[in-house]
Amino acid sequence: MANVVPLGEYTGDWYPGYKPEHFDFPYVVDAPSPFKPGDEDAFWFLDFHWSRGLTPLAATLWSADGYCAGTQGASESLPLPPGRGVTCRFAGTHLYGSPIPETDPREIAARANRLGTNLPHFLQNYRSIWEAGRDELEATWDYFRGIDLATVPTAELGTLIRQARRYHKRAMEIHFNVMYPMLVNFLGFYGSCAEMGIDTGLVGKFLQGEDTKIMELDRELYALAVKARQAGLSQVFADNEPGRMREALSAHGGSASQWLTDFDDWLQVWGHRTDATCDVGVPSWIEDNTNAFGNIKTFLMKETDHDFEAAARNALDERDAAIDAARSGLTREEQAVFDGGLAANQAANFPWWQDDHNYYIDLKVMLPLRQACQELADRVGADRRDDMLYLFWPELLDVAAGKPYGGELRSLVTDRRQYFDHWHTRRSEMPKVLGTVPDSVEDPVLIEIFGINPGSLRAVQNPDAANETTLTGVAAARGIATGVARVLQSSDELHRVAPGEILVCESTSPNWTPAFGKIAAAVCDGGGMLSHAAIVGREYGVPTVTAVGIATVAIGDGDKIEVDGTNGRVTILKRAAELAGAGQDTTGQP
Amino acid sequence: MTGVVVDSGSVVWVDAAEPGEAVAAAGSKIGRLADLHRAGVEVPQGFAVTVDAYRRHCADAGLDPRIDAILAPLAADPAGPSEAEVGTASAAIRELFVTTPMSDALVAEITEAYEELCVRCVDVNVPTAVRSSATGEDAADASFAGIFDTYLGVSGAPRVLDAVRACWGSLFTARALAYRLRKGISHHDMPIAVGVIELIHARASGVAFSVHPVTGKPDRVVIETSWGWGEAIVQGVVDPDHIEVGKTDGRVLRYDVAHKAIVSAFDFADGRVTEVEMPARLADRRVLDDEQIGAVVEAVSAIERHYGYPVDVEWVISRHRRAGDGICIVQSRPVTVTAQEQAPVAYDPVALAQKYVFSGKPVPGR
Repeated sequence: MANVVPLGEYTGDWYPGYKPEHFDFPYVVDAPSPFKPGDEDAFWFLDFHWSRGLTPLAATLWSADGYCAGTQGASESLPLPPGRGVTCRFAGTHLYGSPIPETDPREIAARANRLGTNLPHFLQNYRSIWEAGRDELEATWDYFRGIDLATVPTAELGTLIRQARRYHKRAMEIHFNVMYPMLVNFLGFYGSCAEMGIDTGLVGKFLQGEDTKIMELDRELYALAVKARQAGLSQVFADNEPGRMREALSAHGGSASQWLTDFDDWLQVWGHRTDATCDVGVPSWIEDNTNAFGNIKTFLMKETDHDFEAAARNALDERDAAIDAARSGLTREEQAVFDGGLAANQAANFPWWQDDHNYYIDLKVMLPLRQACQELADRVGADRRDDMLYLFWPELLDVAAGKPYGGELRSLVTDRRQYFDHWHTRRSEMPKVLGTVPDSVEDPVLIEIFGINPGSLRAVQNPDAANETTLTGVAAARGIATGVARVLQSSDELHRVAPGEILVCESTSPNWTPAFGKIAAAVCDGGGMLSHAAIVGREYGVPTVTAVGIATVAIGDGDKIEVDGTNGRVTILKRAAELAGAGQDTTGQP
Repeated sequence: MTGVVVDSGSVVWVDAAEPGEAVAAAGSKIGRLADLHRAGVEVPQGFAVTVDAYRRHCADAGLDPRIDAILAPLAADPAGPSEAEVGTASAAIRELFVTTPMSDALVAEITEAYEELCVRCVDVNVPTAVRSSATGEDAADASFAGIFDTYLGVSGAPRVLDAVRACWGSLFTARALAYRLRKGISHHDMPIAVGVIELIHARASGVAFSVHPVTGKPDRVVIETSWGWGEAIVQGVVDPDHIEVGKTDGRVLRYDVAHKAIVSAFDFADGRVTEVEMPARLADRRVLDDEQIGAVVEAVSAIERHYGYPVDVEWVISRHRRAGDGICIVQSRPVTVTAQEQAPVAYDPVALAQKYVFSGKPVPGR
């Protein structure tokens, strides 16, 4: 029997001033909304991508255009035989996703037939399909970059805002129309590898080592750190917090001034990125330099330079060795299947795309809308530049169309900020799953991106999760490490992690990458073999376990834990409280 | 009866059994060995005490009515006999076989055959494997596999004669009795033959399957092996080396060396093969080299081709075997694993997605 986790308080009021028509957008199968009675009948999982919570604009646009148009549309056009994409609901500011099942056997059979035509077509044309989509998006991106917002007449900001949203929506169409077939191909290959007796821990390795745009970005950022060291600025970085680094460097003068000029030039090329996925509420690195400085500060803590070329060579060697090892254990007939699957997956390389597309889509796709909203805020005399992000879409269009931004709306924004902050602090207590929890799921995005599998589904339903001391998950990157756990809600807290500590979080995304240069291990609630943490963990040689389900619940900040990335096991060795007690011990032993 | 030894059909030689009659006369185990011999497979020397000989013994020595008298109350009970009742009946019948002597003619005939075997093997009192070879055993319904007795290392005519009678008695082990009672089969419908087979001096032995015994994958040969005789493997008391070989190209796909704690070795004092502790220096050593693996694969593949269906075999590498020689096959039977679905021959992303992603079951390995 499926277990039902009641929705309870989450079906109550939503953002102050919310009206159902605020969610009146086109959708394909199921519309997004706050949780409502009856939602218990479906399965809902807490989406790790937005652990900060989402503002009204961020919540409605992502859920409508990303999930309810993007995934549902792609699930129809591929299609997925037994699934119709992902829909979503909100508990406070927190997004829960849900796979929409197709249950009519006749429909499933018809959809399977269409998949039989469309998947091979996609795989044969993958490169041109992705590159055409990417180039289209880059052209639109260039259009927005060519606009000097300061010169746009206020009357035209509404048009710009609509265009910016449309850019995001189109990006999500391209995103999921590529992601679904790539994942289906990957998981079919993965399943056949498992059936042929191949150690599934190796499957990710078969596809690693290809250079991506995000890796290029990391190298360029690292080059800046090397420049800072050469300019004798290491101490400045060591002595100051990232948030005050620009000030400190300016005050330092001399070589620091030149370095800052280089840094700003660098930002113009690489700084159009947020530390979040498709979240209009999060600034770019240009707007807020803190994380860029933080990453450079982290790089400079390490005594030795990171050798990117050696790491890349090593990744390729590891890949080739893993492939050879796997092939040698297969019969010739199996090798034919394996070689075909490997070739198809190397051509349409999901781990590569997963990293690369983040650069072109997820990390920057909301920036034109954000900037237009900020410009509008300036024009209407808002209290803060991000006020517009606390409006719902129809309210935003009204303001852009000239409706005075005052009295009621202004105070609603204040109330909604409080609502956002309130739910932000409640993130760690949000149930990982709600509604009717199945034993396993079939949607490839849920399986691979969210790491939802029978084991993680069992783990999140454990009522005693907070007291568990032995956790299991996907063995994502090999090796064993022991250290102090740092449990982070979002990458905003990355500065709390000291070298040699263990990162514990719901999930990581590309902006967490530099942290892998200093951590001893990583543990995530979500994510499969090909999640960001898994890929980067393997590349940096950091033992990593993903899809634990309850890592952020069971592991306390400061606990001493052991991470076994070879066997997918995490053990809590000593609770932070005990460690603190031991610290007062006269022996002084940790 | 004149006392003169004539060919009364009590003994049939492995290398002389008539095709088509071998299994009927010598039971399935020895009959198959005769079959393999004709097919050119290297098998040990030996003969079978035939089904007829067993039948005549039961009739002439008056065993039939005594056995029926013991079994009658068991079959009469509509609720079925208790385990204890079956055990008591089994012990009583087996004791009958041990205490009831063979006719002089049969003794003479088996003794003569054994002496002939010694000559063929160029040995005095050649050690033998005395194996039950029931009719119906090892057939498609393998429920009887391993249920009847085998004695390894039986040496000298008197011991061979005793072992033959003990094998006859093993048709009435408690397990066999209980099985037949449950299925309503009469022991008269499955008489037994007994093989007396040269005991190959084994350096290493094992089993080999022409398909994967668990998954049914037909693209590989699976071998399990240890030092010494194969009894410890067949009985499951030793964890054997596990080898998988691709059939198409003969490539070793995996070789897992096990810690082999027990070995079936010949006990010269006792004159039989027995299970003893494996010498430390052998326990973790890889048993087969690539040449030996190739010879096993060739033998099991040839037998599969001969029968036209998957088989498992028991094989022995004799101490005297040199590289290039064949492998001695001591037993063969059909594999009872259910054949798997057709294995894919090329990468088919649609079929694999349907099978592994959209099947309603978790993706394998997750």
